[in-house]
Amino acid sequence: MDTSQVSVSSQAAQRQVRVQLTSKQEDIALPDNTGPILVPTGLKRYALSTLVNNLLGNDKPIPFEFLINGSFLRTSIDEYLTANGISAETTLEIEYVRALIPPLHIASFEHDDWVSSIDVLSTSSPASAGSDAIARGQERILSGSYDGFLRVWNMSSQVIATSPSPTDGGHISSIKAAKFISPSSIASAGLDRTVRLWKYTEAEDGFSGKIVPQVELYGHKSGINSLAVHASTNRILSASADHNVGFWSTKKSDAPAAPESLLPSAASRTSKRRKLNASVSVSQRGPLALLSGHTAPVSDAIFDARDSTVGYSVSWDHSLRTWDLVTAALVDTRTTSHSLLSLQHLPDHNLLATGTSARHITLIDPRASAATISAMTLRGHTNAVVSLARDPHSIYGLISGSHDGTCRIWDLRATKTDKGGAVGESVYSISRKSLEEEGKANSKRVGGEGVKVFSVCWDREVGIVSAGEDKRIQINRGEGVLSSS
Amino acid sequence: MAALKASKKRKAVTRDVEEEAGVFSGDELSSKDLDGALSDNAHDLLSDEDASDSEIELIDDYSSSEEEDDEELDSDEIPSEGEDEGVVKKKSTAVLDLDGLEDREESTKEEEEEEQLNYRIEKDANGNDRYVYDEINPDDNSDYSDVDENSNTIGNIPLSFYDQYPHIGYDINGKKILRPAKGEALDALLDSIEIPKGWTGLTDPSTGKPLELSQDELELLRKVQMNEIPDEEYNPYEPLTEWFTTEKEIMPLSAAPEPKRRFVPSKHEAKRVMKIVKAIREGRILPFKPQTQEDEEDKDVIKYDLWADEAERPDHPMHVPAPKLPPPGYEESYHPPPEYLPDKKERKAWEDADPEDREREFLPQDFGSLRRVPGYENFVKEKFERCLDLYLAPRVRRSKLNIDPESLLPKLPSPEELKPFPTACAAVFRGHKGRVRSLAVDPTGIWLATGGDDGTVRVWELITGRQLWSVKLGEDEPVNVVRWRPGKDAVILAAAAGDDIFLAVPPIADPETEKASLDLLDAGWGYAASKPAPKPADEEKKSTPPQWIRPSAALADSGVCVVIPLRYIAKTISWHRRGDYFVTVCSGASTPASVAIAIHTVSKHLTQYPFRRRIKGGGPPQTAHFHPSKPILFVANQRTIRAYDLSRQLLVKIVQPGARWISSFDIHPTSATAAGGDNLIVGSYDRRLLWHDLELSQRPYKTLRYHRKAIRAVKFHPGGRYPLFADASDDGSLQIFHGNVTGDMLSNATIVPLKVLRGHKITGELGVLDIDWHPREAWCVSAGADGTCRLWM
Repeated sequence: MDTSQVSVSSQAAQRQVRVQLTSKQEDIALPDNTGPILVPTGLKRYALSTLVNNLLGNDKPIPFEFLINGSFLRTSIDEYLTANGISAETTLEIEYVRALIPPLHIASFEHDDWVSSIDVLSTSSPASAGSDAIARGQERILSGSYDGFLRVWNMSSQVIATSPSPTDGGHISSIKAAKFISPSSIASAGLDRTVRLWKYTEAEDGFSGKIVPQVELYGHKSGINSLAVHASTNRILSASADHNVGFWSTKKSDAPAAPESLLPSAASRTSKRRKLNASVSVSQRGPLALLSGHTAPVSDAIFDARDSTVGYSVSWDHSLRTWDLVTAALVDTRTTSHSLLSLQHLPDHNLLATGTSARHITLIDPRASAATISAMTLRGHTNAVVSLARDPHSIYGLISGSHDGTCRIWDLRATKTDKGGAVGESVYSISRKSLEEEGKANSKRVGGEGVKVFSVCWDREVGIVSAGEDKRIQINRGEGVLSSS
Repeated sequence: MAALKASKKRKAVTRDVEEEAGVFSGDELSSKDLDGALSDNAHDLLSDEDASDSEIELIDDYSSSEEEDDEELDSDEIPSEGEDEGVVKKKSTAVLDLDGLEDREESTKEEEEEEQLNYRIEKDANGNDRYVYDEINPDDNSDYSDVDENSNTIGNIPLSFYDQYPHIGYDINGKKILRPAKGEALDALLDSIEIPKGWTGLTDPSTGKPLELSQDELELLRKVQMNEIPDEEYNPYEPLTEWFTTEKEIMPLSAAPEPKRRFVPSKHEAKRVMKIVKAIREGRILPFKPQTQEDEEDKDVIKYDLWADEAERPDHPMHVPAPKLPPPGYEESYHPPPEYLPDKKERKAWEDADPEDREREFLPQDFGSLRRVPGYENFVKEKFERCLDLYLAPRVRRSKLNIDPESLLPKLPSPEELKPFPTACAAVFRGHKGRVRSLAVDPTGIWLATGGDDGTVRVWELITGRQLWSVKLGEDEPVNVVRWRPGKDAVILAAAAGDDIFLAVPPIADPETEKASLDLLDAGWGYAASKPAPKPADEEKKSTPPQWIRPSAALADSGVCVVIPLRYIAKTISWHRRGDYFVTVCSGASTPASVAIAIHTVSKHLTQYPFRRRIKGGGPPQTAHFHPSKPILFVANQRTIRAYDLSRQLLVKIVQPGARWISSFDIHPTSATAAGGDNLIVGSYDRRLLWHDLELSQRPYKTLRYHRKAIRAVKFHPGGRYPLFADASDDGSLQIFHGNVTGDMLSNATIVPLKVLRGHKITGELGVLDIDWHPREAWCVSAGADGTCRLWM
């Protein structure tokens, strides 16, 4: 047996520990009869990885990561044992998973202005749920830009469709949020305080398309920071700087009439703007409900990933609020100590990840039974974290976009316990390609100047799509970045 | 009683003998009726109890066992002592006898069976009959049955062999034959026979009757026999009367010294003296010691007498004569009066005290006489110390005051505990060409307005740094200051560029708010129109308040609504909390004092000049602010800050920060609510940041000199949510301070420097020109001479 050989060869060298190597992935699992193996405690990840590759008899070594008690082995086994007070006599259960592959840059789509938001339409994206219409390679990327235009891109970095100009019913100010509702409809919102619904049609060849305004939703008194769409129930949540969360219907028939005072014609000044809106008449509707409760600009609002009647919103007033969308009632308020700028639901952990202005990501347990507000803190960004997305491959994965010009990939398992609770560190950091092209890949921009990331999206097919102040969409390969077990 | 004890000791033996007796008796009774035998025995025992008179006969019955006799003798003696005890004793013996009785009973039963069958039939292990024969009693059918049973069987050996043992041999049954009673036992028997008291067995020769002695006579005889004094009255143990006591009397009978006549000269001593005298006469003993050679040799050594020619010297500062020591007192005596001697407590206190702390170096001691005084124990030590003194050898360790200088500083909380405060640059606002002179965060905290040397006013999205709106106010005149109107009901931006003040409504608000803002600004047109137009003559005068005018079409399109032509360059704008008034200060040296400070009323489109005359002393006015809650206007000129009560039109207070040239100041936002009074921070061009507590003094409470260059702007965090303030300096840095104002009068404000924020480049000797705080968060923005603004959070 291997056991005896290994043990004899290095007995004199140092302390040894009996390890049981397991894997949940069948293709890389060791044969069943592999018993505990005696290994020197000085081994680190690389040596263990080599060992497993030898055991598997792989011609081409696969890099592995090793999990002991749910956390990655980052030191030698010896140090791990010492740090955790585990006796070397015991058999150590080590689970191994495929190591992460650094996300590689694939493409960049150039814009004329800052790109504030992006969304991806693919077979696995929530907007295409139920329809398999999108063939592989036919994924679409939607971008909303500060110049007020929505653009739909194909994967060959060609613009298929652009939203109309303000004179033809387009956004009259910067777009801050854009989302596919379905493969044929788009929602967008921005600093012009409106949520706009668009009809998106594509030509047969797939190289040209049209974005036609459908409905303008009025109700917010200040710029809208983010949108969340729930396609199956035709509902939209919007987070606005007027301290309200808007709850809207995507159907023209459902929505109530728009409040008169907020229509652009109400403004007595800006004759110019009135003129702009004159050419195209788009039906105007109001909100189903305006959820008020926040005392500062609301930065993000999302639907619960499992229950579309529950919404969450975060605000600069440091609070995370849970809303019952059926009754438009405030259910719960969790107050943190920093302004919260982004929000993502992690349904498998019953956690809400929120990016803060204090440069970290806080994982909040929204359930009323949770004793502590902050379950975990992910530290590493050097500026406000304004966008979060789940890893489609792993329930532990999370990506964040920050004003420091990086997207960071986090693994919730890669944590250590600090005095302030569990603290995580990012697994990978994706910097902007634009910086590398300028040859300043390593230079840090103060305040993320020129490279701020405004939006990040992680799609199973397309990968990690991020957009920001560098006026481009950057696509990085996202598959296998994180071990999927 | 001794006899009684002896009998008790022998009891165990007695019982054995009794049993033996029983067996024998059983043999005798074998043919008789058992019941009768039992009753007989019982009767015998009973008769033992009853017939206490006929002991002698009973003794005959029990003659076979001598021990029994003892028993019975005991029982005889006991009644003489007390009937009750005797009865108890007898009962106990009866019980003993009954035990023996049962044994007898069993043995008789066995013999009865023997008469019929001398074997029993029992089942053995295999179930067959088994004849079990009784043990053969050798007594039955014995040829020697006629032999006396009690005869000794030891044979022809001397009895002396048994001298050590209580028995003298063994009978036919192997039982011990006990030694027969000897003289003692017979004596005891004789003793027991009662003799009348006083019986002597003598005959009185005078009377011929038996001589009887009385008790007294017997006692007398006993005493004579015992060599005692026969007199009854005599007590040999009478208490001792101490005629000549053991104790010595203290007081002698006579205090006179012993007379010399009692002296008896010693002959022996006289002999010895004579011997010595004779020896001296003969020269054998020398009265003086002859001089040795050593002494002669010492003459070679030259000796100096230091004090030989010492003369009295006059008093002189350079000569301090040794102090004259006081004469010794009673304490120093070898035999001080008892009141000078220390008692236990004093002694202990003296011993416990440190040598330096002792009042005296010694404790008074009583030695009784001079010859008992021992050598001075510290002699060597003191001489050695004295030598060290003469060498100037330092040996007393002077304990320095060992105080950690850190501990003398006031306890300040560490910056970590005072979070949040801005620590890092979060956004850079780039767009202005040339310096950014002023900036302000709008009351909602979403927008940032900046004004710079390029004559533009720009509005930015605060968190992303996106420029949303820009308007060029002056062609070649810089925008000196931009300030948002407080309050969230309207969005109005006041900017000073060149000689004019501009009020603008940037297109960032929703239609409702925008309309409200426009209405607010437009309302004054009518008011101004209702007033009589100023005469042309007045126009000429410089002190005439200016008329508010509409902007040019280009400006109006960009959102500017009102222009106030001030005719002088306004350097500062400060809004009143309610948003209806703002004060502008034209600090230029050429500005006439009467028009330097102007208060503008937005709702009436009215400009007023509250000060007609130049403020005495301190140069031209620099900046002015309204008090956050009271109707007080603070006006700072170069060296002083004056507080004017606007409602009473009085000068309330003069604050003298001591700075040479005040650049800016700010009033603590919670000064209104805190009972502690108003707190001011003042920044000056001579690099000082001063904290004033107006209740405390006119002078600054704290002076902070941390900047290398002039301080351009100071600002408290508005709203009082965070106790923070910041200053901006020409050295390109901002400094963030924690300044906590407590409500009570007793404690002063805590000021903790928190963070130095660097990032702005120094351009043309200028660094950071303006600073502002986010209305809610601990974020601040700064305007730099390098053309950028920065958001710090």
